[in-house]
Amino acid sequence: MSFLQIHDPLKPKGRAVGIDLGTTNSLVAAVIQGRPRALPADEGDALLLPSVVHYAKDGGVVTGRRARALAPEYPTDTIISVKRFMGRSPDDPETRKLGPYRFASAPGSKVVRFEVAGGNPVTPIEVSGEILRALKRRAESYFASAVEQAVITVPAYFDDAQRQATRDAGRLAGLEVLRLLNEPTAAALAYGLDKGSQGTFAVYDLGGGTFDISILKLVDGVFEVKSTAGDTALGGDDFDRAIALRALEAWGIGDPSPALVQELMQAARTAKEALTHEERTELAVGNQRFAFSRAQFEEWIAPIIQRTGLSCRRAMRDARVTPEDLDGVVLVGGATRVPAVRRFVAELFKKEPLGDIDPDQVVALGAAVQADILTNSEREGEVLLLDVIPLSLGLETMGGVVEKLIPRNTTIPAGAAQVFTTYKDGQTGMDIHVVQGERELVQDNRSLARFTLRGIPPLPAGVARVEVRFQVDANGILSVSAKEQSTGVEQSITVTPSHGLTDEQIEQMLLDSIEHAEDDIQLRQLREQQVEAERVLADLDRSLAEHGALLSPEERARVEEVASTTRELARTTSDHLALKEAIARLDEVTRPFAERIMNKAIQSALAGHAVSEFERKER
Amino acid sequence: MECWNCQAETHGAPFCPACGKIGARAPGATWFDVFGLTPTVDVDAAALDAKFRELSLKLHPDRFATADARERRLSLEQTSALNTAYQTLKDPAKRVAYLLSLHGVDLDADQGEGRVTMAPEFLMEIMELREALDGARQRRDLDAALRMAEEVKRRKAAALDEAMAALRTLLSNPDAGEAKRTAAQALGQSRYFARFLQEVEAMEEEALA
Repeated sequence: MSFLQIHDPLKPKGRAVGIDLGTTNSLVAAVIQGRPRALPADEGDALLLPSVVHYAKDGGVVTGRRARALAPEYPTDTIISVKRFMGRSPDDPETRKLGPYRFASAPGSKVVRFEVAGGNPVTPIEVSGEILRALKRRAESYFASAVEQAVITVPAYFDDAQRQATRDAGRLAGLEVLRLLNEPTAAALAYGLDKGSQGTFAVYDLGGGTFDISILKLVDGVFEVKSTAGDTALGGDDFDRAIALRALEAWGIGDPSPALVQELMQAARTAKEALTHEERTELAVGNQRFAFSRAQFEEWIAPIIQRTGLSCRRAMRDARVTPEDLDGVVLVGGATRVPAVRRFVAELFKKEPLGDIDPDQVVALGAAVQADILTNSEREGEVLLLDVIPLSLGLETMGGVVEKLIPRNTTIPAGAAQVFTTYKDGQTGMDIHVVQGERELVQDNRSLARFTLRGIPPLPAGVARVEVRFQVDANGILSVSAKEQSTGVEQSITVTPSHGLTDEQIEQMLLDSIEHAEDDIQLRQLREQQVEAERVLADLDRSLAEHGALLSPEERARVEEVASTTRELARTTSDHLALKEAIARLDEVTRPFAERIMNKAIQSALAGHAVSEFERKER
Repeated sequence: MECWNCQAETHGAPFCPACGKIGARAPGATWFDVFGLTPTVDVDAAALDAKFRELSLKLHPDRFATADARERRLSLEQTSALNTAYQTLKDPAKRVAYLLSLHGVDLDADQGEGRVTMAPEFLMEIMELREALDGARQRRDLDAALRMAEEVKRRKAAALDEAMAALRTLLSNPDAGEAKRTAAQALGQSRYFARFLQEVEAMEEEALA
């Protein structure tokens, strides 16, 4: 007799959102009444949250525009563009590029650590976690309910270590990462190329720090990535850097201070954006000026743009398409606003690119759509995204040569198995080194991890048959399992990531963050400022009631305005530093009023007394 | 095979006919089984593509994002298998190699019964081709390399045709040892040619950079 099982629907876990964790800006979006929309992510309901994290001396953490404003004053404690450091080691050339940060050196450390104020050195994963946490909080306050699930986007060309780092950052922020979605795929999804339309498209995604090109084919509701290529160390930041380096050269500064670098990079970015609409511009830092034209700028960035061309041609070759075969090209990423980039893309693909969705928002919107598809049971039979692994996975074999197991552009999820044997009698363990990349030699590729197998039954050399199964999931992340075939014994596997943190380290960080209750510190400091604000405002109210006549109508209006802003801020903000500043501002604005009250009090006290009496008291 | 959920007989189908739950793959299932095909040399490409999309829409992990851990794992296994099966059957050379492997021939093996040894005359030819390519590379003569590539492309296509013809014979007559050997040799040749073409492509990429 067979039983009909009634499947309990899983308890819904609140809203699921899409997050674009960008190099320069981050966004959070959700599908609301059938349409994807970016949610307020920063103060003033701005939709873009600058990916900047500031660490204060008292252990507090500030993110977004406020943090970016603090960068020139605290260049080593304010981390900008942390995405560039995700999944990288301290001696990676990308880590060493022009920048203001202090790195904590731990010999043999595989992970970058920034020296910042207020506590221990922080890893890029923790810094990204702060950004994600801020986005999570904003989304929760928007929906007035828990947000615990997210689709987070990554550059298509991110390797395994970079993906794991992103997923770990999500965990630290208290988010279940439903899926890591490749940015170009997310953009294609946002362009809604819906079920009705078919065709082959290229997505050219030039962000702040990464470049991706993907060729996708949409047929009958299945979006298949045919190929992907790119460069995770190439982006709009490099345009800024090109300007900054030439400014330093012109000024004869060989060894710029961190503060100068931070300010200069920001000035360069603003100048770059100005050149989208103007022929000439000038940047100023301190009393130094540097003027240049759009023509000069285009000359400096030409080699950078050419590099994107290499990836584009490779992607088209891998996908076996020519520019003529493409039905459209989509532009993604703020850097694609640069006119020289648009011209390049139009020339290369022989057509005008599509760009009517805001290139800054399109990725987050696509992620929101995917999050909705994954969690909303009413969206069954919706479009399906089939992505690929961007870089080949291989094993180290004798002589330091790589044996490719899963070639690049293989549709994921993908699996491969390899049978190994022992070379010594009674050998019970085995070391497997997995690398990612296209080169022939192990040393020229990216080391992913070492998998140590244990528990092989002791047998004569060459007899044991250990089948190692490599599984790349839909996120593009590798996991490994192994079984000794003759006995059926499953091997236990310890993973030592080459460029990341182990699960134990992440767990520890999670525990630490709960223990140190960083949130509690924030809350306590916030509460202190709120109490102070209440006191100051109450005093002011009393003073206005009693001595309001001492102020002219305009002065009074001004004081009341600032008071009202401060009151509003005390009620709504979670940023204690912002509130502290507001109180200080209020003090300043009301100082003349306070002085007049004091003077008046002195006047009435003085009336009827000789000056000489007071002189003695004052000493 | 028994469904893990309702114990009905699944016959190795990806979804249980009784309760609809996703199931495990049957042990010993071939890539052809994934598509419900009997092992065959010629495959309708368009039909294969359509079937791949149809199965992906049902099996992909994105369809199981909020399901329990067991179903998610099964979805991952089924989809990986589907992707590998599709890659193998879509490409004629891989399909031929797979068919041969079903008949005990392993082109990748260095040792053992299933390995294939290439005829010495052929290996000499390949060496000469390689040397000629090295020469062109040193002279930076991309045109010469591309001309050689054209010729090799033709030979590769011919070798593959030969392999497929021999395999058709083998499939209708499993004892045809000669056909098996011919197919193995021809496929081996097409692989050497393919590797040669890859080197020319690498030269092309370098020249463009």
